[in-house]
Amino acid sequence: MFSINIVGLGIGIASCLVITLYVIDELSYDKYNKKADEIVNVVFRAKINGEEIKEGAVMAPVGETLKQEFPEVLDATRIRSIGMPKVTVENQSYRDNKFAFVDANFFNVFTLPIIEGNPRSALQEPNTAVITKAESEKFFGVGDAIGKSFFLEGQEQPFRVTGIIEEVPQNSHFHFDIFASIEGLDEAKSTSWFGGDFFTYLLLKKGSNYKDLESKLAHLPEKYMGPMMQEAMGVSFDDFTKENKLGFRVFPLTDIHLYSDNSPYSQLEQGGDIKYVYIFSAIALFMLLIACINFMNLSTATAAKRAKEVGIRKVLGSNKNQLLYQFLSESFIATLIAMLFAAILVIVSLPYYNELSGKELQLDFLWEPFVVLALLLLTFFISLLAGGYPAFFLSSFKPITALKNKFIGGNNNKGVRSGLVVFQFVVSAGLILATLVVNQQMQYIQNKDIGYEREQLLVLRDAYLLGNDRDVLKNELLKNPKVTSITNSASIPAGSTDNYMSQVYVDGEFSRRMPVYNIDENYIQTMGMELVAGRNFSKQFGTDSTNVIINQTAAKVLGFGNDAIGKIVTDGGGDHKVVGVVKDFHFKSLHQSIDPLFLFYRPFGGLIIKANSADMSGLIADANTLWNGFGSDETFGYTLLDDSYRQTYVAEQKMGTVLNVFALLTILVACLGLFGLVTFTAEQRFKEIGIRKVLGSSVTEIMTMLSKDFLKLIFISFFIAFPLGYYLMKKWLESFAYRIEMQWWLFVLAALATLLIALGTIGWKSFKAATMNPIKALKDE
Amino acid sequence: MLLQLNNIFKWVNSGGQRIFLLKDINLEVEEGEFISVMGPSGSGKSTLLNVIGMLDNFDEGEYNFLHESVHTLKEKHRANLYKEYIGFVFQSYHLLDDLTVKENLEMPLLYKKFKGSERKAMVADMLDRFNIVGKKDLFPAQLSGGQQQLVGVARALIANPKLILADEPTGNLNSQQSEEIMGLFRKLNEEDGVTIIQVTHSEQNAAYGSRVINLLDGRQV
Ligand SMILES: Nc1ncnc2c1ncn2[C@@H]1O[C@H](COP(=O)(O)OP(=O)(O)OP(=O)(O)O)[C@@H](O)[C@H]1O
Ligand SMILES: [Mg+2]
Repeated sequence: MFSINIVGLGIGIASCLVITLYVIDELSYDKYNKKADEIVNVVFRAKINGEEIKEGAVMAPVGETLKQEFPEVLDATRIRSIGMPKVTVENQSYRDNKFAFVDANFFNVFTLPIIEGNPRSALQEPNTAVITKAESEKFFGVGDAIGKSFFLEGQEQPFRVTGIIEEVPQNSHFHFDIFASIEGLDEAKSTSWFGGDFFTYLLLKKGSNYKDLESKLAHLPEKYMGPMMQEAMGVSFDDFTKENKLGFRVFPLTDIHLYSDNSPYSQLEQGGDIKYVYIFSAIALFMLLIACINFMNLSTATAAKRAKEVGIRKVLGSNKNQLLYQFLSESFIATLIAMLFAAILVIVSLPYYNELSGKELQLDFLWEPFVVLALLLLTFFISLLAGGYPAFFLSSFKPITALKNKFIGGNNNKGVRSGLVVFQFVVSAGLILATLVVNQQMQYIQNKDIGYEREQLLVLRDAYLLGNDRDVLKNELLKNPKVTSITNSASIPAGSTDNYMSQVYVDGEFSRRMPVYNIDENYIQTMGMELVAGRNFSKQFGTDSTNVIINQTAAKVLGFGNDAIGKIVTDGGGDHKVVGVVKDFHFKSLHQSIDPLFLFYRPFGGLIIKANSADMSGLIADANTLWNGFGSDETFGYTLLDDSYRQTYVAEQKMGTVLNVFALLTILVACLGLFGLVTFTAEQRFKEIGIRKVLGSSVTEIMTMLSKDFLKLIFISFFIAFPLGYYLMKKWLESFAYRIEMQWWLFVLAALATLLIALGTIGWKSFKAATMNPIKALKDE
Repeated sequence: MLLQLNNIFKWVNSGGQRIFLLKDINLEVEEGEFISVMGPSGSGKSTLLNVIGMLDNFDEGEYNFLHESVHTLKEKHRANLYKEYIGFVFQSYHLLDDLTVKENLEMPLLYKKFKGSERKAMVADMLDRFNIVGKKDLFPAQLSGGQQQLVGVARALIANPKLILADEPTGNLNSQQSEEIMGLFRKLNEEDGVTIIQVTHSEQNAAYGSRVINLLDGRQV
């Protein structure tokens, strides 16, 4: 029992520490920057014809304008990410480098010190670049890389390396390998306030409040976007903003990771979510509380059994202080052992945790002086609470009471103990419910009809790099019996895809921006999509290049209702006749509802291949062989659409796994506590059980007697856990535009699981107690 | 005949050696007998009583109780048997501290599925018979040793057992209290025909019985 106690406390503290590491890591994002508190990110927010627009990137002139207009803006710097383009170094090409254009002052704003090269002049000129040390070694081997050069696809001029930095810290909201000078980029010089893709950061004067700045940005849209609006859309700014809203907002740098909108438009990389930080902090706290409570509970309970020992010691002349000292030091040693056990657990389990959660948590944090101090304080605190009650209570009572064994320790704080059991099972049942809901939602996402068939789709996104050979590849593959059909498109509903937006007008009036898919005549069939009206694109119709297929949502948004066919819509490319309506399919994550979509007949980009069997390996090998046959220096690469789809929910998936693990651990710790309490109760009632058996009580009756009270408490805890869990999980589900309803049986299942676990814990112990030979308990002393 | 023990052996294995607790016990008890078991400390008296009470197993021999062969019965059947026919009285009373006198008396009835009204009547009857009506709401700790043992005997009797097994029922009592309990036993035996087997160290107490069984090192002498 003593060791159960220590194991429980150890597991609790270890889990709490691991979660704390996670939370600290999440909260530490971008804090490596010396001026982290003075850097802010300018973002664009709008609501146009009912469409919410949240973009992390803004137009090219925004940063510089703000710097000019507001004295508290000391500096402005921009990032223009271009993903992972092809980079060539001496005939060797790479496609795995995150590439961004940045302003020359970038390294003054962000603390990414240039360790080789001239920090002042590194990015002043066009076609210069700062790369990470690892990158430099990959490109040029060990040795000085300064002055060496590489090529970016589509550009004649090489880039010259002018600086080397260390790796971007893991807890940063971006991780580029190559920072090229923005000087050579034409779009960076654009003065348009009508579009742009620049993540813009401002360095504020120390002590100035970003909220103040934000409130001063209200006039920007009118001042700068107003004139262009008149010109481009023929609407005055005032008219436009009667129905619509637009404006800029300011985000502190350190909030980007946890608070920015989880969509590819809003952030450079998939970020974290403050919700999960809260959820896990709560779990950590509960875990610690439960473990400590159990520890104290059991220590107190066992101490009660020592009443007799205390009596004897007192009769033998031990004084109060000696007893106090004895109890407290025993408790301290036990707590210390639990702490050491916890530390070992953390060290051993952290790599597994990292693998599970996709994090790279480090132990360093644990050795920080204040953490060590906090843990020591916690040790003292727990041991004082756990040892305190018996120490002060037992050492002060009269020896004769103890010797008479009339001490009914534990019964007098039964109320408190019941409260604690209820608390633990509120947490446990709540967590079981939460894991059930999360798992069901994940299941739902996996099985939801998303409007296309994502299985057996092989995506060769890079096939366009083969030039004319792409069509050769396509025709060869079409001869392959493993292939059902092939489409040529760069628009892919999951994973990396080309993103286009088009400004759409109907009857000369601006309607809204809509994403655009560029497809060929095989797309809809290959992807397993469905036309609900009209026809597919076809080679037979010469004019299909100006026609458009829209999705059901677009038909609704544009007010076409059920007869969209034949309607005319206009965008920058002119008038388009609607020839078909495709059934809505999900081309963004299920967090978002389906947007209106235009599909144009413009075949380009890579290939998407539908295989005729689930085993894709043969087809992949065939495609690879064909690809290599072209003698191109482009390396073969592929994705499976199904994988990409799953990847979209990787954060939730990981959260789910981690939640499962910690829910399990919490339940384990709660069960250890329950087990200890049942053991204690059974021991306390040892004699009573004996008497009852002799008087004719059956095994079942004894077991019921021992479990009844606990089961009552567990039932009470359901009434707290389930409403609370329902409320919190509803909140979580609301972040999905497409979600499950929490059904009654989920609660029944959670209740059953909790009961089963509790009964398993109580059952074994009470069975043992109930089947013991009563004469053991009835030995006359 | 109420019960019959034939060649009962009981042993424990300790350090590779067989230590006999009971050796070749043969005993026949007729209904209505009042038997005293005597012998020095450690001679196996309690062990014998536990075997008769079916609380403990034996390793060899036959035990017949009424028409049942106890040695062939399953644990559960044995429990049902003693539950129905045997009442136990202990040296240290073994009343439940948290329950009142009334509740202590009621307890065996709970396990025998008597109805609430029946239980009430039986408890009231017992309280009356033992003259402890005034004590019915007290807790054991509020009673003297003699009174506690009175409650103990009443509890053993409440479900009308055929046999009372009493292990040193007066061991914790003074001589006056002892006489009271022994008087009660005699009365029960003579007037109600209850069979009694008691373990005692006192010749005086043994004299209340009709027959004495002497044990020495687990053997009848
Ligand atoms: N489970 C056991 N394992 C080993 N030895 C046992 C066990 N139970 C009883 N004994 C031994 O058997 C012997 C008889 O015990 P028992 O309690 O029957 O004696 P007793 O005659 O009732 O003595 P007392 O008058 O002191 O009550 C003792 O020596 C005791 O130590
Ligand atoms: Mg004895």
